Amino acid sequence: MTVFRREWLRTVLQGIGIGMVVGPGIPSIASAQASEAGQGTGPLTVRVTRPFDAETPVREFASWLTPNERFFTRSHFGPPPADSVKPDAWRLTVKGLVKEELTLNLKDLQQLEAVTLTAVLQCSGNGRAHHRPKVPGVQWERGAVGNAQWTGVRLRDVLQQAGVKPQGVHVQFQGADRPALATVPLFTRSIPLAKALHPDTLLAYEMNGRPLPLLHGAPLRVITPGWMAESCMKWLTEITVRVDETPGYYMQQAYRIPETAVRLSSGLPGSAMVPVEQMPVKSLIAAPAEGDTVRIGPVTIQGVAWAGEAPVVKVEVSCDDGKTWEQARLLGEGQPYAWRQWQFVWNARTPGPTAILCRATDAQGQEQPATSPWNPGGFLWNGWDRLSVTVAA
Amino acid sequence: MERMGSPVCHGGGMTLRTAKKTSGFVLAAWLCTLLGWVVITAAQEDDRGTIQPAQARQALTLIHARCAVCHTTDLIVQQRLPADRWTVTVEKMMHWGADLSKDEAAAVLQFVTARYHPGAPDHLPSIEEELAMIAPAGGPRQGSEGPVTGVASRGAGLYAHNCQACHGEGAAGGAGPKLARNTILKNDGAFWETVLHGRGPMPAWGAVLSHQEIADIHAWLATR
Repeated sequence: MTVFRREWLRTVLQGIGIGMVVGPGIPSIASAQASEAGQGTGPLTVRVTRPFDAETPVREFASWLTPNERFFTRSHFGPPPADSVKPDAWRLTVKGLVKEELTLNLKDLQQLEAVTLTAVLQCSGNGRAHHRPKVPGVQWERGAVGNAQWTGVRLRDVLQQAGVKPQGVHVQFQGADRPALATVPLFTRSIPLAKALHPDTLLAYEMNGRPLPLLHGAPLRVITPGWMAESCMKWLTEITVRVDETPGYYMQQAYRIPETAVRLSSGLPGSAMVPVEQMPVKSLIAAPAEGDTVRIGPVTIQGVAWAGEAPVVKVEVSCDDGKTWEQARLLGEGQPYAWRQWQFVWNARTPGPTAILCRATDAQGQEQPATSPWNPGGFLWNGWDRLSVTVAA
Repeated sequence: MERMGSPVCHGGGMTLRTAKKTSGFVLAAWLCTLLGWVVITAAQEDDRGTIQPAQARQALTLIHARCAVCHTTDLIVQQRLPADRWTVTVEKMMHWGADLSKDEAAAVLQFVTARYHPGAPDHLPSIEEELAMIAPAGGPRQGSEGPVTGVASRGAGLYAHNCQACHGEGAAGGAGPKLARNTILKNDGAFWETVLHGRGPMPAWGAVLSHQEIADIHAWLATR
């Protein structure tokens, strides 16, 4: 049984980035990952085995781009059969409130102008495990997020080719993934037309310079930079222009938050529920790691910070569990939608246990809160990141 | 070995990893088993309300057979929810087609509410580990059953109830492989190994289906 499970994990991990992209040339990497991932010590920490939901250990965020095979993966039903999304079998249809329905293959799409941008992709439930009271769902901790370079075409260019009718104000996405039971609602989502027509909203066919891996939506996925990942439909096969927001569970019930904060423990939303859209400002510590022992003297603390559609302007670090804060140095050039690396050199003087915290502020003045407002779905956690370390003499 | 990938082992991360490096898999597996027992005992002591072993077996068996059609049971074990949210969750799953009678749903709800409540320990054994402890490999029926001959007419209904969600109507395939005319039907060893103990994403059915029922399903599949 162990052998079978390993084999299956290997298949899954090949799906993340190695199998489809590079082919069978480097099976040793995949199999090494497979044996590691099952124990939570490898590149990904598995939260759910099927559908394969796994997060990236935060130490990987020491690098600016998150490699495909180390990028978190989440879906409701797992990927569709690989054959159904092979370029020769796959088609994208554009329909609904359009002047001309389109059926496109990958080559048709690639006739349009190619655009590359770097953007953070983050699951809305990232950090759900930190919400109190606890809420149902995959108990993501810190790593259901990553920063990748996406290449594709503008959704706007495709919509213009079809011609959006004046009544069309929402754009619906459907992927090729299907639930095990026909009675389970399909994962169907929509975004407002304004976001769909934004020149940075892409239909991406490459991730970090490689064709999209199967687990990340091959051959085409939506990228809505600055917005949470449930808008970034994977295995995209249908675009439907609509007069209203998509009906159904995954748009009308799931992925919604109270418009105003709810009273803790009330168990019920206290106000109208609105769809999750933009990412709130957030930062993470990539090094040192939780539980590390550091030496007295200079200790380099590093991490990443990002916000939705606004740039991060400040990251602060506390090395005394929140009593005092100092500003970290932002590295490199700021790029819209990408995360910003930061660094802080801490002069550790007092031996013993302490906690290191970080918090970021964006250009709109939004500051990362100590803990996020509670909501029944456990979405949008962006509380201060915190880890315990011990200073050794 | 099987327990290497379990949340129980994650709970003992440092100790177990060290053990594995120095003394190898045998020691690690032994430690896992020991730790598993400790955690199970702690979990049972921490249960809200009492679950009788028979009730636990029924609920575990149902979770393993019915919930795992759509998702592995690790998703359930990681939840720590109050009764009202468990109730809503089980109702949602029923609404979405979880194959449970009203009484069965009540048994599952009682179990998950007692076991996976907000005050429960962070690390609890997996459903499969608990099943293995309660009903050792092959299930309690194994000993009393000799060689069995399948009856295809009974197998049709059993297949529809237990296998069709993944393997498709008429065994034509779906999320799981096509079974009609699949070569595994001619390889008794592989067929029984797969059904009893699971394979990759397929759960083990040894504690859920009797040998007679598995033989019936096999007989029916052979006619496809």
